[in-house]
Amino acid sequence: MDKKTVSTIAYLSRLSLNEENEDKITEDLKNIIKFVDQLDGADTNNIEPLANPLEKTAKTRTDNVTAKNRKEVFLERSPKSNEDYFLVPRVVE
Amino acid sequence: MSIQYKSIKELKNMLNDKDISHTELVQETFLNIKNNSALNAFITLNEEESLKKAVNLDNTPSSGSLAGIPIAQKDLFCTKDLKTTCGSNMLSNFIPPYSATVIENLENAGCISVGKTNMDEFAMGSSNETSFYGNVGNPWGENLVPGGSSGGSAAAVAAGIVPAASGTDTGGSIRQPASLCGISGLKPTYGRISRWGMIAFASSLDQAGPMARTAEDCALLLNEMCSHDEKDTTSIDEVIPDFTENLNSSIQGLKIGLVKEFDLSKLDNDVVQVFEESKKHYESLGAEFIEISLPNISLSVPTYYVVAPAECSSNLSRFDGVKFGKRCDNPKDLEELYIKTRSEGFGDEVKRRILIGSYVLSAGFYDAYYKKAQQVRRLIKNDFDSAFKSVDIIMSPTTRGAAFDAGSKGDDPIQMYLEDLFTIPANLAGLPAMSIPNGMIDNKPIGLQLIGNFLDESRLLQAAHNFQISTDWHLKTPSGNKS
Repeated sequence: MDKKTVSTIAYLSRLSLNEENEDKITEDLKNIIKFVDQLDGADTNNIEPLANPLEKTAKTRTDNVTAKNRKEVFLERSPKSNEDYFLVPRVVE
Repeated sequence: MSIQYKSIKELKNMLNDKDISHTELVQETFLNIKNNSALNAFITLNEEESLKKAVNLDNTPSSGSLAGIPIAQKDLFCTKDLKTTCGSNMLSNFIPPYSATVIENLENAGCISVGKTNMDEFAMGSSNETSFYGNVGNPWGENLVPGGSSGGSAAAVAAGIVPAASGTDTGGSIRQPASLCGISGLKPTYGRISRWGMIAFASSLDQAGPMARTAEDCALLLNEMCSHDEKDTTSIDEVIPDFTENLNSSIQGLKIGLVKEFDLSKLDNDVVQVFEESKKHYESLGAEFIEISLPNISLSVPTYYVVAPAECSSNLSRFDGVKFGKRCDNPKDLEELYIKTRSEGFGDEVKRRILIGSYVLSAGFYDAYYKKAQQVRRLIKNDFDSAFKSVDIIMSPTTRGAAFDAGSKGDDPIQMYLEDLFTIPANLAGLPAMSIPNGMIDNKPIGLQLIGNFLDESRLLQAAHNFQISTDWHLKTPSGNKS
């Protein structure tokens, strides 16, 4: 974990770090990763990963329409929209 | 008649006996909220709507089991037409178009949601110092933290403003603040309460639960909060018992496990002494103690700090400034819109966890961190499965000590992470766990943690209620013993 790695994962996370906290955050992440490295000591040969404590297949429900179209309600909560779409800066020139 | 520090049960009796009207109860609650505004426990108040509901209840009595009971809702639950910030600048303008299932369940039972409580940003923190809306105070002392992340909920109950609050618990966020504020709080089995409408932090760990003055009140709340919800695919479809049914049954012969690996000698003497006295008390009630071993328990905190940030980095990718929440000013292109919005909208702790999550999930590191942590998670769950073959519940302190001063953990995140040493294992295994007040250290309350087997909330509540009907720690308030 160094400044270069931190700047790569920051970009992957779509976050920008300013100069003054870049050193501090690199140091913090280094310590946190060192802390979680304790896991290396555990013998996990042939142990299935546990993703969720229930371990049940997600239940499906019948494919009925249960929600009404509330396009306006959702669009009006957007920072920028017109009557049909969410608006963002132009992507294709 | 004062309503401060009254339990749900007491308020229900007062309402039934017409000692107070619904409208008076709500008016007095808002008076108490305003008198305690220095605590900064609330982000948003719902005064007009609450009064309207109270007037309606006075005119048309309701049969709901919690009719007219004021409740504070953690600002992590979506509430229809009421601002929901999750403690973040990112959602400072977010007004949900729907309510979380658990909020609907409580309101259908007659609860009046008086406001939204302050919390650590996106529930990431153990001291309520990461909220965009400022620190929350602990009614037990100036400059003391209330714990976190459900710190506003805990402080509001501890100050006697409301008899009940909702909380959520991903690594201890109900139990740790309950301990530091001297109240009762329960994290149910993963899947007991629907997560639909809860703003997600770590989806395989998050669980909502009640925070109240007594275990009995927690049972009353839990009865209404649980439901099977088709909108949440991890919602359990099991019989929901009446959690109040066995409260008064004797705990003679209850087998309580003590975890060999929880090394209490590292804790302050006072903390150990409080714990030992609770053990003696349980013995006097007929319980029997058995030492159990959870060999992998010491890896809980490192496991959690891989799993939780990984799920957080994925969940929080939805905050991109496009569909709801904040958007930065004048982005020059779409990428800048994402980056500036997220960098301005999230605080330091949230950014730190997103970065760890992105790191442990990135190509080349996934197996070494995320997969490894999930494997250790299974080892920890297996340890609990074996332990519950010989005991009914497991007991430990909830926290390493009583409430600490704001700013005292310095800026080393790991010191703060270790605050949840005793609470994290139950989240990893999906087990129900609760904290009840069991002593005072330097005039500050501290809690006892009880961990139950899968879906066995009834037994936890029974053990907690038996403790509370024979002790008075839960009756202590910042202004003296409750009459």
